[in-house]
Amino acid sequence: MQMYPEQIVKAVINESFHSRWLVVWMFVIVNIVVLTAGLLWPKSYTGSTSIVVDEKSIMEPLMKGAAVATETADRNRNAREVILGRSIMRKVLESAGWLADHPTASEQEGLFEKIKARTTITPVGRDVIKIEYRDSDENRALFVTKAFANLFVQEMITQKESDTRAAFDFIDKQAQEYQQKLTAAEEELRQLRSSNLDARPGSDIELSARLIALNTRIENTTMELREAEMKHASLERQVNGEAEVTVLATREAQFRARIAELQAKLDTLRLTFLDTHPDIVQLKHQIQDLRAEAAAQRERRDSAKPSDRAEGDETVVNNPVYQQLRRELSQSRLTIDTLKARIAEARRLVQEEVNRGKGLHGGEARLVELTRDYQINREIYQDLLHRRERARVSINMDSDRQSSSFKILDPAVVSPSRNTPRFWQFVLGGLMLGVLVPLGFLFTRLQFDPRVRLANAISERHKVQVAAIVPHLWSPVELTGLRKELAILALVVTATLALSATLSVVRFLGLL
Amino acid sequence: MSKIEKALKRAGEERGNLQVVAPAAAGGRTAPWTALVGQEIERPETISRMAENEHKLLSAEELWVRGIIHPQQTKEPAVQVFRELRTKISQQSQGQNAVILVAAVSRGNGASFIARNLAAAFAFDSAKTALLVDCNLRNPSVHELIPDTSLPGLADYFDSPELAVSKIIHPVGIARLRAIATGRLRENPAEYFVSTKMRHLIDSLRERYRERFIILDGPPMSDIADARILSELSDYVLVVARHGRTTNAQIENGLSAISSSKLLGIVFNDEPRIPWLR
Repeated sequence: MQMYPEQIVKAVINESFHSRWLVVWMFVIVNIVVLTAGLLWPKSYTGSTSIVVDEKSIMEPLMKGAAVATETADRNRNAREVILGRSIMRKVLESAGWLADHPTASEQEGLFEKIKARTTITPVGRDVIKIEYRDSDENRALFVTKAFANLFVQEMITQKESDTRAAFDFIDKQAQEYQQKLTAAEEELRQLRSSNLDARPGSDIELSARLIALNTRIENTTMELREAEMKHASLERQVNGEAEVTVLATREAQFRARIAELQAKLDTLRLTFLDTHPDIVQLKHQIQDLRAEAAAQRERRDSAKPSDRAEGDETVVNNPVYQQLRRELSQSRLTIDTLKARIAEARRLVQEEVNRGKGLHGGEARLVELTRDYQINREIYQDLLHRRERARVSINMDSDRQSSSFKILDPAVVSPSRNTPRFWQFVLGGLMLGVLVPLGFLFTRLQFDPRVRLANAISERHKVQVAAIVPHLWSPVELTGLRKELAILALVVTATLALSATLSVVRFLGLL
Repeated sequence: MSKIEKALKRAGEERGNLQVVAPAAAGGRTAPWTALVGQEIERPETISRMAENEHKLLSAEELWVRGIIHPQQTKEPAVQVFRELRTKISQQSQGQNAVILVAAVSRGNGASFIARNLAAAFAFDSAKTALLVDCNLRNPSVHELIPDTSLPGLADYFDSPELAVSKIIHPVGIARLRAIATGRLRENPAEYFVSTKMRHLIDSLRERYRERFIILDGPPMSDIADARILSELSDYVLVVARHGRTTNAQIENGLSAISSSKLLGIVFNDEPRIPWLR
């Protein structure tokens, strides 16, 4: 049946009034049940403690920069695993007296699980974890919480010490290995140096400088040689063109030359002029004079000949230029030979250097490699030495408990558990349920009771008009009775409330 | 003599059958509803005669104790409800008197309470009278209203042919309301209603006084035979269902016994309400 909210409210109010005894008794019974439940509800105490945890692996700072440490597992999970691990749990079971009855292995497992379920480990901030343990026994809650905290710290310190020791051992071993490597590298280097003296840094540069110098020298000498050869060729040509001796010119020859010259001039003039031309005549006379002169000269020479006197030819003399050239030629040939010898020597030197360089390169590459290995090994070795010393200090600190990063921040305290309902919650819940349960019951009855409780339900269901809705007519006697009844019910409700209040106070004062 | 009374007297002389009745004669009350002029005009002679016979009327308090409404209980919601029901029936019957059967769906639904209060509501109106007839032979209740329980009732009327109808009609201490109790019952009263005498009785009661509304306090509908016969005798039927007691199945059964043309509707009785929260 469709009902509007105000109709529901009105109907429920009227029904509550109609079934007032039922409502009040339900209220009382619900309250009593809930209060009883509150009283009998097992008490629960929670012990809690906080621990500062710096769970960074000792390897990490020690090996920083040298090696990458594996990621530390989730801190809480780790802490949880340690705390709820078998070793701590067994100690807790022992010390808390759970093992007094000598439980079997499976019973112990059950105890483990129970304690695990009652223990919560929560992170507070970055480095603090909070351990909480719930128990019905106040003292035991405190004891177990304390035990958890102490055993955890102890366990973690032990673990850390062993971590540090392991780290030290590892670094020490590494350092030794590197020391051996370094020694081997040094030895190899020494051997290489002794077998290959040239093999030293910069040899190749020197070699190439020398080669360049030699090549330059060869080039220069070759050029000089060319020059000398050209000079030589030139001198030879000059020597061939020059007579060994020179002939001096005679007077008769000079006359003849003059006659020929004049004759030529005369022939030219005759082509133009007659023989009678003064110029021709003059020329003819000149020619005659000259011929006469020449003849006189010849005669004088011929007259000198019959004396048979070994008379040297006064016109033939040695040529001085020729002599000079011969000398220079000889000099040039000497120069060429010298230069050729010098070039051959330079070439031999170059070859020698090249041969030496071949051996030098192989040795040097090896040297570089060995030197590099040596340097790297030396660096790592030195670094490891530093780290080993730091690890040694860490061990000392651990043994003195100086570096302990596990500390109990808040000592264990015990308080009533938060999650278990408090008595006042029962009281409040009882009151609320005491109201809601009867109202819910009445509402359900309205919906499902086959007996008619709402007038509009009749008209809706039977399609018959409701002629009148007659309320109960209260007679004076009935009204008096109703007043008494209501007073009694109010008294019952008040008594229930008083009971709740009294129990709350008693409980608050810790008397119950 | 007031102007109204003079006018009435003049009108009476013209019609010949009207008379002015002093307010004291109309149940000794001067309540406003009795002073309505129209009602005074139509007030028949019988009503004034009934008033003369009503020597001792019950007070509002006394009626309240008996579970009967009184017009003075203006704050009582039930009074309003019965007035409205009465008006509805009057409208339905178009001013004519009628025989109304009030029958519960099942026993204990409070049909007698409804019947007697409906009768009382009709009697509020000074222009009408009401007759409550107890037809619930197995569980009679009307006799409680009659001061002398030894007076003859319905059973006596059926059993003694010489007994006049007027002898079984008794005043109940409420103005304009008379009642017929069941009387001294014989062993097998079941056949009374099927007799023609019953039909004659109803007809005569209806015909004799035109302003009289006859309310039959009927047996529960679970007694289908009686309920069916009585519904045939009556003009209208009111079916009473009670809060928290009547089931839908019972209502369905009850409704199947009566003709839908006569059914005025269902009266939902005893709806719980906090008395101080009007």
